[in-house]
Amino acid sequence: MTIDRPTLANDNYLTHTRGFLSWILTLDHKRIGIMYLVSVLTCFLLGGLFALLVRTQLLVPEGLIMDQDQYNQAFTLHGGIMVFLVIIPGIPAALGNFVLPIMLGAKDVAFPRLNLFSYWLWIVGAVFLVISIFAGLDTGWTFYTPYSIDDNSAMGGVIPAVTGAFLLGFASIFTGMNFIVTIHRLRPDGMTWFRMPLFLWSLYATAVIQVLATPVLGITLALLAVERAFGIGIFNPALGGDPVLFQHFFWFYSHPAVYIMILPAMGIISEVIAVHSHRHIFGYSFIAWSSIAIAIFSFLVWGHHMFTSGQSPLMNVVFSFITFSVAIPSAVKVFNWLATMYKGAISWNTTMLYGMGFIVLFLIGGLTGLYLGTIATDIYLHDTYFVVAHFHYTMMGSALIGFICGLHHWWPKMTGKMFNETAGRTAFVLFFIGYNLTFFTQFMLGSHGAPRRYATYPADAGFQTYQIISTIGSYLMAISFFMMAAYFLASCFGGRRAAANPWGGRSLEWQCSSPPPFDNFSEQPAVGDCYDFSVLRWDEATGGYVWREDVAHPGHDAEEVAHT
Amino acid sequence: MSMLGMLATTKLGEATSGGGFWMPESASTVAPEIDGVFYFINNINYFFFALCVAILIWFAIRYHAKPSEHATFTTDAPTHNTPLELTWTAIPLLLVGVIFWLGMDGFLELSEAPDDSYEVQVTAQKWSWTFQHPDFGVTEAAELTVPLGRPVRLIMTSSDVLHSLFVPAFRVKNDVVPGRYTSLWFEATKPGQYRLYCAEYCGKDHSKMLAVVNVLPEDEFQTRLGKLAREYEDIADQDLPEYAMVRLYNRCASCHSLDGKSGTGPSFKGLWDRTKSGSTVFTDGSTLKDYMGPGGEFEVPENYIRDSILNPRHYIVQNYAATMPTFKGQLKERQIDAMVLMLKNLDRLIDEQGNPIENPDLSGADVSTGAQK
Ligand code: HEC
Ligand SMILES: [Cu+2]
Ligand SMILES: [Cu+2]
Repeated sequence: MTIDRPTLANDNYLTHTRGFLSWILTLDHKRIGIMYLVSVLTCFLLGGLFALLVRTQLLVPEGLIMDQDQYNQAFTLHGGIMVFLVIIPGIPAALGNFVLPIMLGAKDVAFPRLNLFSYWLWIVGAVFLVISIFAGLDTGWTFYTPYSIDDNSAMGGVIPAVTGAFLLGFASIFTGMNFIVTIHRLRPDGMTWFRMPLFLWSLYATAVIQVLATPVLGITLALLAVERAFGIGIFNPALGGDPVLFQHFFWFYSHPAVYIMILPAMGIISEVIAVHSHRHIFGYSFIAWSSIAIAIFSFLVWGHHMFTSGQSPLMNVVFSFITFSVAIPSAVKVFNWLATMYKGAISWNTTMLYGMGFIVLFLIGGLTGLYLGTIATDIYLHDTYFVVAHFHYTMMGSALIGFICGLHHWWPKMTGKMFNETAGRTAFVLFFIGYNLTFFTQFMLGSHGAPRRYATYPADAGFQTYQIISTIGSYLMAISFFMMAAYFLASCFGGRRAAANPWGGRSLEWQCSSPPPFDNFSEQPAVGDCYDFSVLRWDEATGGYVWREDVAHPGHDAEEVAHT
Repeated sequence: MSMLGMLATTKLGEATSGGGFWMPESASTVAPEIDGVFYFINNINYFFFALCVAILIWFAIRYHAKPSEHATFTTDAPTHNTPLELTWTAIPLLLVGVIFWLGMDGFLELSEAPDDSYEVQVTAQKWSWTFQHPDFGVTEAAELTVPLGRPVRLIMTSSDVLHSLFVPAFRVKNDVVPGRYTSLWFEATKPGQYRLYCAEYCGKDHSKMLAVVNVLPEDEFQTRLGKLAREYEDIADQDLPEYAMVRLYNRCASCHSLDGKSGTGPSFKGLWDRTKSGSTVFTDGSTLKDYMGPGGEFEVPENYIRDSILNPRHYIVQNYAATMPTFKGQLKERQIDAMVLMLKNLDRLIDEQGNPIENPDLSGADVSTGAQK
């Protein structure tokens, strides 16, 4: 036996076992994370293609490439794929799966089998969603009733699509449960709640929302499917149902869901800003508590999506009020990130550029939310491009950029290879310009009254210039993403070998080799202050950071661990 | 005969000009207030955005360091500062409190229509708008005429899915929901023509569900609606087909083409010949002939058309879905007659390509609408 085993130094989770089956049946959280990553990125490509179709169509007022029906499907699939298959699973299921147990110094999540099951459930859900592409789906990702339940209106893809979303919801619940238990049970000695890396706090808060909110979506979609299939009147007024009830149910999940998307990204940014500024995170407990505050408040604001739905004025006022209170913890985080950079030693590498880009885009996304939480202005801006721009700044500019930032941050850890920095920075600049061209113009469109989800638009309303700029921006972004794909792929084959700690992080994942060995750590690593970077120094020889010789290593100093 | 001349295809010159960098031209009493809230938030946002980005850039440049310079890291920077953090929690809290208050104030004004409002009943259907003026007994489509300087209240409902009525120049919007009434109000401050959109996604031709709000000074408004109210009564039978083409066809246009291409519904072109010969086939396989003729359900073909408009779910033409809304109560008897006559004389009203002819020649047209009603 011992003859075939690679020596410990060369053995890592990628080479530990080989063959197709060893991947698809793996219980290793790292491999499951990688499988999620590949699946999510594939979906991102698909969702992105639909986005480009939509943008291309809108170059001219009468629509360039599609008829109305095709356009309606294109934006529906763009939204559905990006929300359910890219942004929601992106950080928790792909990056979280890989990083969370290592950050805890654990060998795996608490329930490895459940983890694998949730991955395959996710795949089945994704297949259903893709089937709906062929059956035709034109309801928008929101599935608003009665449109979605009326055979004469919506196309045939509704049932496969909601089945898919239902299954994806369960995959998300299982991942959430797994993370909650893992964080509760598998924290190592010395890692108290308030010594956890902030990424774990954000994953924890996210998991709580996933477990509590997703069942509501599941039930709502099940009701929708039952209503559509058997004509039971729940949401359809023609059968005595209430179409607005659907909106309440839907947003009761989907508003918290926007925090399922953004919280983990905020967690990544907290890590990235601290690590790449080489400076202790500022205001740890404010950031941690703000994640929890966001998780709680997120359940109480769904009505702000319905200010024009005809709900009672009192409800509008109450929902508007609570909505504003969510703005506070988000603002606190931004100030803390900025303060973290104060007196730091800031690297301008690709990861940090995405981190700083995130702050700018998130600021715009957050500040424009103020117009939409304010009832008087929301009534005007609701269902216009202003909303489209706002949620792209938060969901794409922030949540997705957080994901991409994290991908760069942990790429050396996951693959053991460094990507080309010059290419990375160039792609970032291209992305950042393209992004703002695409979406800032949409604020202008919206504030000038352009309704969303329009396949064509009046030629003399002054919208076309904005649309053209927006489309050009989207092409720039597409190029930047293809560049990213290219330098990531290139790094796998020809990239420089990554050191264990190429950026100078102190959380536990930087203590194991890159890529990590199969069981992460041979013994439980010692835990210190995961934001105290003063104990590290740059080591030119390995191209990474190492422990300073003149500082005692906590691993060799049991005292330090014991008295914390 | 200048019926068509009266239609005076609307030009939206005014709605597209004017306005600022962010907000378009406004033309209602509430608009300045809403714009005020918008610009108030704008100023706060400009300030905070500039502040944060300036700090970000300043730190990024001031504290930039290459890895090779990382011999040691600063440890004297604070890791937290509770008074500072409480301050930057409290200041935004205060500001959003003010914003909330302004927004609520503006909204409460929007939500209460003044008592003396002029009321219009709005019905949304895929993919067109119908505006009824109960005071005049007038129904308009694709154009909503309202008085200047008087509050107008729209009482809205939908006959199919969700829609949303949106007039950017007035800064008003409200969803239109099947099975219930919603409302909004505005008071126009400038005469002119303003775009009206459907803002809630409603399917295929959502982006074509447009109309125009025509704001007229009070006296012109009265004259115009008075005229519309009597229009179809005063029209000679001879002119009814053209009246229907100009005034009524726009309610059918989203589903029924004039050029022979089938859309959501069958094209109107050739419909009359098919009806007259009874060759139309229904979903259950029966043909119109089975129901026609003396003693049958439809004694004359005209009655089938009338029935299709009033009870569209009665007979469903093969290869089409039962999506046509009923026009019962929305069209007056004489207007339905006009519709029937339009279909009957369609060949005289449109050219080869299916475009309506201006001043068609209707001399000697058959304007009998069938005996049984
Ligand atoms: C929302 C789409 C829609 C609108 C608007 C609409 N229809 Fe229809 N109509 C249909 C469809 C679909 C059918 C075929 C199914 C059926 O028989 O009900 C149809 C059928 C008909 C028929 C019978 C056609 C035949 O071949 O026998 C007539 C007549 C008719 N419509 C008249 C009208 C008139 C007049 C209007 C306007 C006042 C109108 N429709 C508006 C969708 C529409
Ligand atoms: Cu929300
Ligand atoms: Cu619509």
